[in-house]
Amino acid sequence: MLDNLKIFVRESWLLVTAALLCGLLLAATNAALGPRIEMNKTLKLTNLAADLLPEAKSFAPLSEPIEVKGLDGKPETAVIFKAIDGDKLVGWAFKVTGSGFADKIDLVVGADASFSKLTGYDVVASSETPGFGDQIKDSYYRSQFAGAPAGKFSLVGTGAASPTNIDSTIVAISGATISSTAVVQAMNHYLPQLKEQLQQKGLIAHGSNP
Amino acid sequence: MAATPDGKNVYTEAVATGLWREIPVFRMLLGTCPTLAVTAAVKPALTMGLCVIFVLVCSNIMVSLMRKGLRPHVRILLFTLTIATFVTIADLFLRAYQPAMSQALGPYVPLIIVNCVIIWRAEACASKSGVLLSIVDGLAMGTGFTIALCTLAVIREILGTGRLFEIQVLPTAFPAWAAMGMPVGAFLTFGFVLGFINLMKRKRA
Repeated sequence: MLDNLKIFVRESWLLVTAALLCGLLLAATNAALGPRIEMNKTLKLTNLAADLLPEAKSFAPLSEPIEVKGLDGKPETAVIFKAIDGDKLVGWAFKVTGSGFADKIDLVVGADASFSKLTGYDVVASSETPGFGDQIKDSYYRSQFAGAPAGKFSLVGTGAASPTNIDSTIVAISGATISSTAVVQAMNHYLPQLKEQLQQKGLIAHGSNP
Repeated sequence: MAATPDGKNVYTEAVATGLWREIPVFRMLLGTCPTLAVTAAVKPALTMGLCVIFVLVCSNIMVSLMRKGLRPHVRILLFTLTIATFVTIADLFLRAYQPAMSQALGPYVPLIIVNCVIIWRAEACASKSGVLLSIVDGLAMGTGFTIALCTLAVIREILGTGRLFEIQVLPTAFPAWAAMGMPVGAFLTFGFVLGFINLMKRKRA
């Protein structure tokens, strides 16, 4: 038994020590750079949101975090900001995540102050196929959400409706059904939850249901 | 000064090997995945090259320091652990200070972990040499890798966009070859450059 232990220590001491050192090095790097990485993420989100809510002068996080269910059913803290002009609330900016063709799709969505209409969305991160799925970044698809009611959306094929009609019917991108569906599913998954949570916290009025 | 068996300076030999004789991409055909993936423009190619230099030098130092305690059956595990640590540090650094570039390079920075140039140098040089030689070897091989990436990137960026470092270098009348920015452009450029190098080598022989 003791011999086995000696062999184990002799053979693995360097690996164990190196793993410990590497772990410490990574933990220290992460602690040093983590806040800056988080700040970069927030900055990117709010920069994109500023284009969706041009009247907003600044974006402020909520004083109390909001818990929502992610696409996988697990609880997650919602990334949501108040869009502010002075003391006046001019809208909401929040992140939604969809399950795309290649990977997750992160979107920033803008909504008006009463959370009744969307002001549009932009893509924060996506690995969709260039020329196909990444057309979710193009105005053809994005413009269908600008001014649309902040509720449930339904996706229809090309030709089934006009993409210039701003309503809850979204016309898919030809050849990129999975990516189009991912955006609509992300909206349908997060919008009702966020709206309900904001209503419960008294941050928006109880109005039309999503 | 340390010398090779045939009396040459080991440091000069390491530099010549990394920069030309065994230049990873062009002579050893190693590290071709990032070579094809990130050479559509010079900036990402240069960033990738600098990351590889950092990881190569740091992992070479660490492997060289551990070389006397290395056991044959755990050495690959140790190399991978070391390389993964420094790749993660490089990735975190890019995400903190160059977020746009980090996003442009996407998964190719974390994928440096499986870049065989780094494990090749850990096995062939750092695990058998002193720290100073390992540093010189890492610098030379990393610079050779960066030169190869930038060579392809210069050709692809100029022909694909008419620009270099986002500055217009070709007449605006030149029709940009969009294909050069796509994978097909990477394969074609790589093939032509390799062919040219082989032709030069054959002429010199």
